[in-house]
Amino acid sequence: MSNDEIFAAAYREHYWAVSRYVARRLDGRSGEVEEVVAEVFTVAWRRRADLPPLPLPWLYGVARNCLANAVRGYGRRRRLVHRLGNDESAHGRQVAVGPDAEAPGGWVHEALARLSAADQEVLRLTAWEELGVEEVAVVLGCGVRAAAMRLHRARRRLRAEIDRLSVLGGAGR
Amino acid sequence: MVDELELLRGANPFTADGPLYGDGPLDHHASRRLNRLLYERRRRLLWSLVAGVTVAATVFTLLLGGPSGTPAVAAPRPLVVQANSTPVSLKQLAALAAAVAVDGTPVLRKGTHVQTWSLGMSDDKPPVTIPEERIVRWNADDSHTERVVEDGHVLKETTYPPSWSDVPPDARPPHDVPGLRAYLQETAYSKTPLTTPELLGAVGELLDHWTLGARESAALARLLAGADGLRPAGEVTDRLGRRGEAYVYRQSGSRLMLIMDPATGAVLGMESTSTKDQPEYGVKAGDVMDYSAWTR
Repeated sequence: MSNDEIFAAAYREHYWAVSRYVARRLDGRSGEVEEVVAEVFTVAWRRRADLPPLPLPWLYGVARNCLANAVRGYGRRRRLVHRLGNDESAHGRQVAVGPDAEAPGGWVHEALARLSAADQEVLRLTAWEELGVEEVAVVLGCGVRAAAMRLHRARRRLRAEIDRLSVLGGAGR
Repeated sequence: MVDELELLRGANPFTADGPLYGDGPLDHHASRRLNRLLYERRRRLLWSLVAGVTVAATVFTLLLGGPSGTPAVAAPRPLVVQANSTPVSLKQLAALAAAVAVDGTPVLRKGTHVQTWSLGMSDDKPPVTIPEERIVRWNADDSHTERVVEDGHVLKETTYPPSWSDVPPDARPPHDVPGLRAYLQETAYSKTPLTTPELLGAVGELLDHWTLGARESAALARLLAGADGLRPAGEVTDRLGRRGEAYVYRQSGSRLMLIMDPATGAVLGMESTSTKDQPEYGVKAGDVMDYSAWTR
């Protein structure tokens, strides 16, 4: 197969996985998701000669860079949205948190949001993109041991936040 | 105690079998983007004719009519530079544009109004396409409407929700030459200064997003005046019937023509033409490959 055919096959196979990756990091804002995904595949197209045999982690790596650009691009607006979002969650925190709250994902997301961006990314890659540690290393552009170490530490910190929220929410387990 | 990764897995907002972004065939939008990438590739291949690169041979003998009852459409003729017209240098035009820009009108406006045409490279469609008119208008709330008109029929009219970006070419273009140069380089995703064909490509991108004001046009004219190999050719009448000054860049096998308004120095259009027979692609010297004509 030519590079073009390989690219087209990777596009068809992974378009939705890349869309989910981006949507998870943009809280699903659909207009922006589509734009960033288009950008990911445009960049991937230019670099299609580099496309590895297992392209998905590599595509996530490209998406990660594109998202960083998008964050820069949408900077002011995002900061505003983020501020508004934090105000809302500050209210929400007093009303319903903890494992017994109605939306089960909500408090886990909140625990996740309390971690550093680097911790969040390694955890999402593992839990949501379902990558093994070697693939995580490809996305993050680091060694496998470094990736394993980052995941280990991030898990510990997530555990601590979950436990803290459980106590705050008054829901014992 | 439930494993923290298990908890996180359970909180995955978008899953492969979910209603949004779930696995499945590409939707119309995603297919179109893929086709566009592959199509662009073919168009460039045609230009560069890289030796040894294989591309599905496309037959271009059907310039009029086509299979399965496709309407007959003629390929456009290249613009003709009027004999005896005196070429105006880009430096002169840039000086004129600067003088015209003093009062700052017209002003920069987000959105575009462009008529485009390009030689079709599809394997299963006839090689000639109908010129397309695209009008993009931005509203006060940062939403925008895109209307595509072909052959007098509105093919598509879509309103997009508010969006905002400060990355070129969505970002507001500057009206100073160094700023505009950096802007166009970023538009072209280049880490190095742009060559003239790259610069013209980036200018096309810019004009597909923005309707320049007098100040931006003046900066652009000055920038183009410094582009290597862009030579004044004389007067043309463009496809919208406007008088223009043509500037030509020649490269192996092709000619790029930039058309500028002699009264304001604004870019009116661009055209690329094949300058040699390329029978393997069914293209003859003088065939127009694509053009764009921008208007306010």
